[in-house]
Amino acid sequence: MDGVRLTVALIVAVVLQWTLRNVFEPFAYIDFPLIIVVFAALQRNSIRAIFFGTLSGIAVDALSGGLLGANGFSKTLIAYMVSEMTRRVYLDNLLLRIPVIAGACLIDDLVYYGLHWLLGQPPVGDALVTVAYSLIGTTIVGTLVYLILQNLSGQKPKRRREMFPSRRQTRRRNPIRLNK
Amino acid sequence: MAERSQKEVWRMTPWLVIALLLVNFVLMAFDAREISSGQRVIRAWTQTAADFVQSPVTTVTTSISNYFVSISSLRSAQDENSKLKQKVQEQELQLQQQKVLEAENARLLALLDLRERSQPKVLPARIIGRDPSVWFDSSIVNRGSLDGVTLNMPVITDGGVVGRVSAVSPLTSQVDLLTRKGSGIGAVVGQIGETGALGVVVGTSDSELIEMKYVSGNIDVQIGQEIFTTGQDDIYPPGLKVGDIVNVISGSATTPHKILVRPAARLHAMQEVGILLYSPPDRLEYERKLPNAVQPK
Repeated sequence: MDGVRLTVALIVAVVLQWTLRNVFEPFAYIDFPLIIVVFAALQRNSIRAIFFGTLSGIAVDALSGGLLGANGFSKTLIAYMVSEMTRRVYLDNLLLRIPVIAGACLIDDLVYYGLHWLLGQPPVGDALVTVAYSLIGTTIVGTLVYLILQNLSGQKPKRRREMFPSRRQTRRRNPIRLNK
Repeated sequence: MAERSQKEVWRMTPWLVIALLLVNFVLMAFDAREISSGQRVIRAWTQTAADFVQSPVTTVTTSISNYFVSISSLRSAQDENSKLKQKVQEQELQLQQQKVLEAENARLLALLDLRERSQPKVLPARIIGRDPSVWFDSSIVNRGSLDGVTLNMPVITDGGVVGRVSAVSPLTSQVDLLTRKGSGIGAVVGQIGETGALGVVVGTSDSELIEMKYVSGNIDVQIGQEIFTTGQDDIYPPGLKVGDIVNVISGSATTPHKILVRPAARLHAMQEVGILLYSPPDRLEYERKLPNAVQPK
């Protein structure tokens, strides 16, 4: 069931990516499919996340002026990296997921840009500005989307006491008893 | 058992990633080759599928934004109306003068036995989608091969040249803007015959400006002069406005000028464009045999 919801979320993300730039130009800086791909990778189902990365990347590339497969390549790589990281590090907390989406967005942009340079199709515009805006837009929207998806999938954030167990407090005793 | 299958998944994942990365890389290499060689098949079919989503969304958003624009423009409508009436009267006078000149021109052409060049037809098209990737600036229009659009047809607005058709599906087409790095337009400073300042207009890393290259440093070029197409690139017909010069770094007898041009078309605020149903004239036999001649695809 969770897989169905995520697949629907991915399709919605791809459709939003196709259409929103024509409505309002700054929406182009938000990478909706990347947000869903990273979320899928955080669910510890690496194969699903990797396929999501490839398919959504190719779907976006097909309508883009860039090379077909460049987004697919970068998103597949991101899905694998995040799922490997999730295997080793505890990332169920929303606060920990914010740097993950920011880092994923940064690497995705760098890989995409690098691939185009490598194959002689340099993109338009100032790379630094584009990366910065993309990082801000995707991180903010990604955080909000994760909040919504967590609530939808019933993954309530754990209580603080469960996430950070309190340290065992040892009672201090004075070894020298003065009064007795 | 579950633990073992999870381990198998972990073991299998890197191989799957490598396979998918390879698939993507092959697609990229294939696409990079197709950009210069012709039709990009996968794109064409995805565009057709996406058209069923993009067209309704564009129709809804355009009608909503038009509604708000019409409300805000009601205030200035009366002033505009009186100004427009005055303008119409002035233009009527100009039109009459132009008719006289046209008749005179026709008589002179007949005298010189010159055939009037046939103007290419303009197919109006609506932009239904913009590039989903922030790194590129292509647009998708609602006209495809069923409307007679073919690859490399020029796209214009009332301002000037917009770009060329880079992929065609039955219902839609993808348009690459002239600001794209790697694009090229044969151009001249001023109208053809006015100056000898011929060059090539190419995209730069700046999405607002384009650069005119290879203009001899001996020729006088000024800021504010207009740039027009020459028709020598086998894509654009001659005489279309490309833009205005905004900066010139003067060259010398041995180095060309570095000319920056602002495109005449408002590339980021377009809603409608025109596709020129234009096919370039056949080259003469000796031109086709030149060593640097572009071979027909």
